[in-house]
Amino acid sequence: MFKFLVRGAAIAALLAASGYAATAETLRMWGPEQITEPLVAELWNGIKSDFEAANPGVTVEFMPPTGTISNGAVQAAIQSDAGPDVILTNSGIGRITVVKNAKQVVPLTKYYEERGWKNQIYPWLYADLQGQFGGEIYEVPDGLDALGIWYHKDLFAEHGWSMPKDWTEFLALMKAMKQAGVQPIAIGPRTPASAGHLFGNLLQSASGTDMVRKALKREIAFDDPAIAAGAVRLRELVDAGYIDKQMAGLDLEGASRLWFSKRAAMFVAGPWFTANARKAGYDLANAGYAPMPSDLPGETKPTGGVGWSWLVPVSSKQPELALKWIDFVLSDAVMKKRAQNAASTMIYPRALDGVEPSTPVLKEIFAAAAGGVGYNPSVYLPGPVVDIYFQVLQGVISAQINGEEGMKQIQAKLAEAK
Amino acid sequence: MQTIAGPTGPLARAAKVKTRMGGSTGETGSALWLMVPALAIYAVFTLFPVAVTFWLSFTNSAGFNTPAEFTGLDNYARAVHDPIVWQALGHTFLWLLYHLVLAGGLGLALALAIGSLGKTRTFFRTAFFLPHLVSLAVVGVIWANIYDPFFGLINTGLIGLGLGNWTQGWLSDPSLVLFSVNVASSWQGFGIYMLLFIAGLQNIDSSLYDAASVDGATPFQKLVHVTLPGLREVMTFVVSLALINGLKGFATVFVMTNGGPFYRSELITTYIYRLAFQSQDHGLAAVLCIVLSLLAITITVVFTRWRARLAQ
Repeated sequence: MFKFLVRGAAIAALLAASGYAATAETLRMWGPEQITEPLVAELWNGIKSDFEAANPGVTVEFMPPTGTISNGAVQAAIQSDAGPDVILTNSGIGRITVVKNAKQVVPLTKYYEERGWKNQIYPWLYADLQGQFGGEIYEVPDGLDALGIWYHKDLFAEHGWSMPKDWTEFLALMKAMKQAGVQPIAIGPRTPASAGHLFGNLLQSASGTDMVRKALKREIAFDDPAIAAGAVRLRELVDAGYIDKQMAGLDLEGASRLWFSKRAAMFVAGPWFTANARKAGYDLANAGYAPMPSDLPGETKPTGGVGWSWLVPVSSKQPELALKWIDFVLSDAVMKKRAQNAASTMIYPRALDGVEPSTPVLKEIFAAAAGGVGYNPSVYLPGPVVDIYFQVLQGVISAQINGEEGMKQIQAKLAEAK
Repeated sequence: MQTIAGPTGPLARAAKVKTRMGGSTGETGSALWLMVPALAIYAVFTLFPVAVTFWLSFTNSAGFNTPAEFTGLDNYARAVHDPIVWQALGHTFLWLLYHLVLAGGLGLALALAIGSLGKTRTFFRTAFFLPHLVSLAVVGVIWANIYDPFFGLINTGLIGLGLGNWTQGWLSDPSLVLFSVNVASSWQGFGIYMLLFIAGLQNIDSSLYDAASVDGATPFQKLVHVTLPGLREVMTFVVSLALINGLKGFATVFVMTNGGPFYRSELITTYIYRLAFQSQDHGLAAVLCIVLSLLAITITVVFTRWRARLAQ
């Protein structure tokens, strides 16, 4: 009898194990870039546990991301056929075009209706996504960017500086900073997007949102003086020494170090910079944020667009589970949990009632972006043009070419691109 | 008169050798079967990728998930008309030259310096070889920090010594950037060349130095007339190796400058990566892979023939 019971228990255990094996699923993902930071890891491990609890038999496995679409890591991971099942990465139409044209990502359009995603993001954002690829959508926005000027409140107070209202005053401020022995602006163009952040702000300041939109939609040329003005300004700042041309040899980390050490007074970045600041031990209460001043009425505003999105690779072994994960991330519970967490570093893709940003500087960023944001061209330019765009910015910052020449080269590449 | 060799005579030995070399049909078949695994691996991992690359160069492939159309010589024409290709090609030659002089030259200089040491030779040999064990990507990160214009070791050191005017934008100055990155790459690479030169030095007959001393040769004359000629074969090998390693230069450029600023450190290899993995332009990338292979073959063959002619 005892033997019978033991055998029965063993068989039951085997069956249970085999049944479990049949239903056990693993969802492998590339999460946020900062997932190795303790605060971010704690938040995401919590979200992972919640998802696993809501989906018995499912295990979520974070594969630390090794890069972005811009540096080819996402494409290489998908192409390897051993990559993640769902990817969170820097996005925007320019980057998505690359993976969309290579047929590396699954179209998600029908799920916006079927799974109600269209009601979980801002209506203007949904309309924007619909307008990108003739109605087909390949991404689910996770966060929006709002790029503007970060400054040290104590340094400004010490020198009696304040963020100016217009460009002329802004030039005077930079002159004063230089005379005080402080680098006015830090920039790290070796990290291509970093140069794009500053240039997007200058373009917005010099040309205004509508003009930049026209250029990105190819209604006017990039080398049109109305658009080239931003590049001309960039070169003027280099020539005046307000941007040291040696900064062309810095990456985002090196430029951040210059700013965190207060050897530089200003730095153009988005809400995600809070993560860099925290990592560097910088007191976030001392950080101030303001959009780049413009002489054009109503154009003093941050630039941005979709910053990060979820993608489902065609090589995903768990496409259904990937969709479930996106449902989960878009849910109110998860979005609020993320937004209220100290590790929060971005603007969420829909309004979240009753949620207070976790740091004062984030409050300033959200307030500055409340009236809308201008365009960050890095996000909107077609994939084949992005490379020359970043190289041209490096060329202007290192004083190898002037603004007009640079814009001509971008326009030439834009004319070639489909 | 007929000569019959016994079973242990020269004819029998020759017959055995012939059997081993030519063998019977059955033995040849067995030998071929034994070669199959190696041939299969070679075919899958070398011949097949080469064939695919060649095929891709005639298509507009944007990755393996999209259908590729045959476009004839379009990609070759694009390569010819792309100014960045020519710029990258020029940089690749310059990179080769820098690598040869910096890594090869340093390897030779240190081998000569260490060669004459006594007990401390092992220590220095190990110490100088250590950078070779560090991955190129890590080397890139280390040297990018050394070159940091505001916090880096070089510029802060120069300022500390009162030589602030000598500070440079090591990675931002278009005329310096390729050299600066190559220094980092050569720092990682010279160790292997140094070991090869040390091995070569040990093979030089010491009696030649004794004879030179008897003839009253100075150390410099010994170097020129004994050491360097004695290292001729090793040098040929080192130069060939340095040329091939130089052509493969990628990691340090990718990590330290990503080809910038404004393509001033773009090499053929980094441009291939940019095209293939960032722009998904596999056709043009394949053309440049073929160009790079032809370049490597040409340089090696020309150099080897030149050396052979010189030796004659």
